[in-house]
Amino acid sequence: MKPILLQGHERSITQIKYNREGDLLFSVAKDTVTNVWYSVNGERLGTYNGHTGAVWCVDCDWDTKNVLTGSADNSCRLWDCQTGKQLALLQTNSAVRTCGFDFSGNIISFSTDKQMGYQCFLNFFDLRDPQQIEDNQPYLSLPCNDHKITSAVWGPLGEFVISGHENGEFNQFSAKSGEILKTVKEHTKQINDIQTSVDLTMFVSASKDNSAKLFDSATLDHIKTFKTERPVNSAAISPIMDHVVMGGGQEAMEVTTTSTRIGKFEARFFHAAYEEEFGRVKGHFGPINCVAFHPDGKSYSSGGEDGYVRIHYFDPHYFDFELEA
Amino acid sequence: MPSMEYDDSKPSWADQVEEEGDEGTLPPPKEVIKGNIKTTTDYKIDEEEGKKFKIVRTFKIETRKASKAVARRKNWKKFGTSEFDSPGPNVATTTVSDDVYMTFLSSKEDLNATDQEEDPMNKLKGQKIVSCRICKDPTKPPGSEPEPAQPSLGSKTGKYVPPSLRDGGTRRGESMQPNRRADDNATIRVTNLSEDTRETDLQELFRPFGSISRIYLAKDKNTGQSKGFAFISFHRREDAARAIAGVSGFGYDHLILNVEWAKPSNN
Repeated sequence: MKPILLQGHERSITQIKYNREGDLLFSVAKDTVTNVWYSVNGERLGTYNGHTGAVWCVDCDWDTKNVLTGSADNSCRLWDCQTGKQLALLQTNSAVRTCGFDFSGNIISFSTDKQMGYQCFLNFFDLRDPQQIEDNQPYLSLPCNDHKITSAVWGPLGEFVISGHENGEFNQFSAKSGEILKTVKEHTKQINDIQTSVDLTMFVSASKDNSAKLFDSATLDHIKTFKTERPVNSAAISPIMDHVVMGGGQEAMEVTTTSTRIGKFEARFFHAAYEEEFGRVKGHFGPINCVAFHPDGKSYSSGGEDGYVRIHYFDPHYFDFELEA
Repeated sequence: MPSMEYDDSKPSWADQVEEEGDEGTLPPPKEVIKGNIKTTTDYKIDEEEGKKFKIVRTFKIETRKASKAVARRKNWKKFGTSEFDSPGPNVATTTVSDDVYMTFLSSKEDLNATDQEEDPMNKLKGQKIVSCRICKDPTKPPGSEPEPAQPSLGSKTGKYVPPSLRDGGTRRGESMQPNRRADDNATIRVTNLSEDTRETDLQELFRPFGSISRIYLAKDKNTGQSKGFAFISFHRREDAARAIAGVSGFGYDHLILNVEWAKPSNN
């Protein structure tokens, strides 16, 4: 396969995300811009300019109207997807680490970092109520005193947010009452990424403890474990195959001391049921920070510490391949 | 006597030379769409050397079916930093990178084996960098009682083992290029192949001469048809020599093949 190389960022990529149909690909990095690309040919549709710090997270609602970004400039911003205009600016006390739309696109949630003497908060805004945005008053603001949230996604039906914490713990925060519905601790180190399956019934977590794990979204039951020998930065579930793709590598600070050949900078494909690795794709010059499957399952993208996003369309061989059990 | 009819669509070579002769003026860019292939031709003058360039780019036009929402989004106006980009991917931000392949791993054992092979640091881990000068025993601290000499590398019997037979003697260093030169030496070039030739045909044709390490058949990007030449690398030079002797002048698919040694590639 010939990957399409997207060079829209000057610093390492922090997150990439497809919209629901998969025709657009959003990418954010430690520079200040958010890029949106046509996934079919890699053409850049536009940029969302306005942040003044590293952008940690991006999300798009189901009908691709609004885009939400969270940044280390202590703000979370809402953009009009089509024109790139900023619709809302939500100021916070510390960096915004994760953000997301619920399934309806009406409720947004974002979490802030524990830093500069401020607590980690998980905030919920209802976009249907302009007063909340205007006053910068979330209808729900939940403090996380012990361990800060490092990754979060919305669960099914917009009922709760699944958060991954820096100690390897998962929590389900109800979006209505704000209580913690469930807690499990399956990882021993920080959870770098959580991504749901296309129907939101499962999610895969990527952790610094060198493993990725598959969970049931509603019960938080641990289903499968995918082990590697390096920290996992991101993992995604294929929408059409029983496959999980993982990106990782060693920490950014160790990159300069190892050659690319042994750096394990490949995207690694695991069989979801057998928990076994069956394929690798090389390409990045540094660790992969985020991976995402196209919603049709025929391509995937990865964003790396090297600042590039690569869109890979699978060869026919990939679909024929069957793992020998 | 050939007819002197003049065909406007195809200027004769003499006219072309004249056209190219007049400096300064550039022919207008052309865009030809033929089926699903779009060919654009641009002309450019290099300021420094005053040379004229003709840039021909071919694009494949694909029509895809998409949902209404997706089709509508495809026509959105560009915004932000990309506001003034022309339609189509901008080469400044979007490039097609080199081919990569998914390497399939068939079993767990393979995986571990390649891991160890790949990591040169692993080899170093077993060795101690600082060792006692007198006893050469890395497990003892420097300066301790010398013991009967014991080679740290190789067999336990104490016999001298040539480096080539020691552990790891057959492994190549990381910086070594794969043995390319040797490969080149056993490579032959086959020309005057017919357009319908496939790699499998070449394999059939040359297999009798010895084991083949690589077959490269030059193909047209768009049509996938052979361009009429191929390179065949044998494992042994003798095989290649016999192949030249055997196949050169051989009639294959109504054409007479021309086989000779390949010139070493530049890179």
